[in-house]
Amino acid sequence: MTYTVTVEPTGEQIEVEDGQTILQAALRQGVWLPFACGHGTCATCKVTVLDGDVEIGEASSFALMDSEREEGKVLACCATVESDVIIEADIDVDEDFEGFPVKDYTATVSKIVDLSPTIKGIHLLLNSSMTFQAGQYINLNVPGCDGARAFSIANPPSNGQEIELHVRQVPSGSATGYIHEKLKVGDSLPLSGPYGQFFVRRSQPGNLIFIAGGSGLSSPQSMILDLLEKGDKRHITLFQGARNQDELYNADLFAALAKKHTNLTYIPALNDAEDDENWKGFKGFVHEAANAHFNNRFAEHKAYLCGPPLMIDAALTALMQGRLFERDIFMEKFITAADGADEQRSALFKKI
Amino acid sequence: MTATKKLNLKQKYQYLTRDMDWEPSYQKKSDIFPLEEFEGIKIIDWDGWEDPFRLTMDSYWKYQAEKEKKLYAIFDAFAQNNGHQNISDARYVNSLKLFLSGVSPLEYAAFQGYAKVGRQFSGAGARVACQMQAIDELRHSQTQQHAMSHYNKHFNGLHDAPLMHDRVWFLSVPKSFFDDARSAGPFEFLTAISFSFEYVLTNLLFVPFMSGAAYNGDMATVTFGFSAQSDEARHMTLGLEIIKFLLEQHEDNVPIVQQWIDKWFWRGFRLLSLVSMMMDYMLPNKVMSWKEAWEVYYEQSGGALFKDLERYGIRPPKYQDVANAAKEHISHQLWSTFYQYGQATNFHTWMPKKEELDWLAEKYPDSFNKYYRPRFEHWDELQKKNQRYYNPTLPQLCQVCQVPVLFTETDDPSSISHRDTVYKEDRYHFCSEACCEIFGNEPEKYVQAWLPVHQIYQGNCGGPELPGVLSDYYHINLGEDNLEFSGSPDEKRWNEMKGIKPSKKDDAA
Repeated sequence: MTYTVTVEPTGEQIEVEDGQTILQAALRQGVWLPFACGHGTCATCKVTVLDGDVEIGEASSFALMDSEREEGKVLACCATVESDVIIEADIDVDEDFEGFPVKDYTATVSKIVDLSPTIKGIHLLLNSSMTFQAGQYINLNVPGCDGARAFSIANPPSNGQEIELHVRQVPSGSATGYIHEKLKVGDSLPLSGPYGQFFVRRSQPGNLIFIAGGSGLSSPQSMILDLLEKGDKRHITLFQGARNQDELYNADLFAALAKKHTNLTYIPALNDAEDDENWKGFKGFVHEAANAHFNNRFAEHKAYLCGPPLMIDAALTALMQGRLFERDIFMEKFITAADGADEQRSALFKKI
Repeated sequence: MTATKKLNLKQKYQYLTRDMDWEPSYQKKSDIFPLEEFEGIKIIDWDGWEDPFRLTMDSYWKYQAEKEKKLYAIFDAFAQNNGHQNISDARYVNSLKLFLSGVSPLEYAAFQGYAKVGRQFSGAGARVACQMQAIDELRHSQTQQHAMSHYNKHFNGLHDAPLMHDRVWFLSVPKSFFDDARSAGPFEFLTAISFSFEYVLTNLLFVPFMSGAAYNGDMATVTFGFSAQSDEARHMTLGLEIIKFLLEQHEDNVPIVQQWIDKWFWRGFRLLSLVSMMMDYMLPNKVMSWKEAWEVYYEQSGGALFKDLERYGIRPPKYQDVANAAKEHISHQLWSTFYQYGQATNFHTWMPKKEELDWLAEKYPDSFNKYYRPRFEHWDELQKKNQRYYNPTLPQLCQVCQVPVLFTETDDPSSISHRDTVYKEDRYHFCSEACCEIFGNEPEKYVQAWLPVHQIYQGNCGGPELPGVLSDYYHINLGEDNLEFSGSPDEKRWNEMKGIKPSKKDDAA
C-alpha cells in the first residue's frame, strides 16, 4: 500500500510505502527536507501534519514535546503514514530546483575513453532516458562492492539516453579499481538517479565562476555545455586544476568552446609543472589561478566548485577572502575512500 | 504537484519581523536608531540578515509554557521530598552560592542588555531576535532563583544574592564583565555576549555547573539546566548570525570585529576562571578537570570555529595561546586566593582532602605537585594547629577584569603577572598584557571602573574595619556564611541531617 504525501509550501508530492518514513521517501524522490540525526532525537526534521493520519514513531519526548504532538507536529525521520497526508515543512522554495524523480535504470557500457593516465570517461547507454539537471549525479552499483557509488554526470541534459561519467582511479578504491581494470564495453550495471542539489541557479544574477579539480570537471562540463546550448549570456570563467599536462583532460574541448563563445573564458592551472617548458599556461594551484585572474575580488559572482576536499577548501578560502559568501557559492565535494574522516566542524556554515 | 501555496514558517516569521516594520517618513532613521553608526560598523543592506530562528510568538509562548510546567513540577517534587538531603555533600552547596550570586544576576543583566539593543537596530530581524532572547534570559534568571530557593531554607549564604552581586569584591568580576558589554554599542554587545560568550565559551559555563549538579545529586539544578539549554541552541545561532552578518556586510568591519573578538575572548576567559576553581575544588564529585574542559570545549570546538572564520580574514583571539597555557594553573591559583580570603566570601572554603589532592595531581601532572600541593599541605598543617590562614591585606585588583592580580607569567609559574600603565598622570594596574591592552584601547571607559578594594579604602563601603564592610555593606552573616567550611553551621546542620559524627581534624590531607 502506498500513500501520497503532499509537502507544503512547495506542493511537491511523494509516494510513501508501507513502513517507509516520510523523510526516506522524500529524499528518495528528490524532495529535500531539513534533517540531521535521522533517528528522532534532534528535531531538525520537525514538520506539521495539516491533513491525514500519521504514526509518530520513535520520536524522543524532548525533541517532540507533548503540546507539539497535540498540534500535529511529527518528526519526518520516524513518522510513517496511514492515509494520504499533507505536511508543512520549514523549507525554502529553491525556485531553480526542478526535482526530477529518482528512478532505477539498467546501463550498458557503450564506450570507455582514456581521458588521462588516472581518469577514464565511461559512457553508459540507459534502458530509458533520464531527466536531470546539469550538475547532478547518479548512484552506480559496481560488481563486488557493497552499496552504490556516486558519480557526477558529465554530459548535458539534452542527451538523457547516454550518460558520461569521469572516473578517477582511487588508490585502493574497490569500485574505481573495478571500473579501471575490469569494466568493458557491453557490460551491464544498475544505477539510480538523478540526485543532488548541485545545479546552476538560473534565477540568480551574476557572472559565473567554475572551479574544477581532477575528475571534478564532470559536473562543470555538463553545466557549461548546458548553459552554452541554451544561449545563456552571462560570462562564464572555468578554472581547471590538474597536476601536469598528462592529467589535464578535455582541454582542447574547452579551448575550442572559448574560441567559439565570447562569454566563456577557460583557464587551466597545473600545480606540478614547474619544470615543464612546454607549458605556457598558469603554474600553481587552481585557486591561485582564480585569485590571479580576478585580482582577489570575486564579489557579484556566483561560484560553482567541484573536486577533491583539499581543492574545495582552498577555493572556498580564496573566494571568501575575496568577498564572496555562502549564499553565492555552490559545491560538490568528491570524497573518496582515500580521504580521512571529516575533522570536527563548527556550525558557522550550513552547506559549504 | 498541487497548486496550493501557503505561508511557510519563514514567511510567517517575516510577517512578524520585516512586515511589521516600516520606513519612517517624518523622522530621520539616524535619529530613531542613534547608536547604529558610532562604532564604525558599516551595514549595506539589512536584507542580508538571515533570521537565526523562525519562531512566531504564539508558538514561543506555548513551547515555553510547557517547559515551565515540566520544570516547576520537578521543583515542587524536589522540595516536598527534601531533595537537598540527596546531594553528595554540603560542600557542594557552595558552588550554588557562587552560581546564584555570580551567574543568575548575569542572566538578568543579559535580559536588560538584549532588551536595550532590541531597540537599537534599524534591521527588524535583529530587533525581534534580541527581544525574544531578552525574554529567554529573564526566564533563565527567574528559574535559576526558583531552582535554588529551596537550598536557602537549609544552608547559609544564599539570602541576598542580587545585593551581593552589586557589592561583594570578587562578584565585581562577573558584574563588570556584563556592565562593560551593556555599556558598549549594540554591535559590540552582540559580538561580546551572543558570539564570544554564548557561542564560543558557553559550554565552559553550563556544562560544568549542570553536569556538576548531576554528579552531585542536585536534580533541581539539573532540570533547570535542561530547560535552559533547549533555548541555548537559538542563542548560539544568533551569535553565529551576527558575526557572519557583520563580516559579510563590509570589509571595513573585519578589523573592528577582530578587536572585539580579541577583547571578549579574553574577558570571558578571565570570568571563567571562577568556573575553573568551582570544577576543580568546589564539586565534591568531580565531573572533569578544568584543563580537560578547556581542551574539549575551547581548543577543539573553538579551533574548528576559528578555522572556519579564517575564511573571513579573522584569526584566532590574540591571547589564545596565553589562555591555553594557563589551563595548567588558573584553578589552583584562584582557589589559593579564595582560601586566603575566605573571611570575605559568601561561601565557605577549605583545603582539599587527600584523595582530592591525588586527583588534582593526576589531572595536572605537570603543575600540581610541583607548584601547588606543597602550599596546600602547608596551609593544612597550620589548620591542624588551629592557625587556619586568612590574609589580612586587601588584594590589588586588575583595572579591567577586576580579578586580583594573582595569575602568573606564562613562562614562569612562580612569578606574578603584573602590568601597569600611566594615563593622565594616574597609574593603573593589570593582571596581564591582554587586560592592559584592552585598557589602552578604551582608557576613558576603564578609568571609571568601580574597583571594590579601592572603594573600601576610600570609605565608600562602610567600615572602616573589614568586619563592618562584610556585615553591613555586603550583608554577609559573619561566622555563618563566610570562613572555613569545617566547623561551619552548614557542616553541623548537614551532619545532623545525615546522622554523621563530626569529622576528626586529621581526616584532611
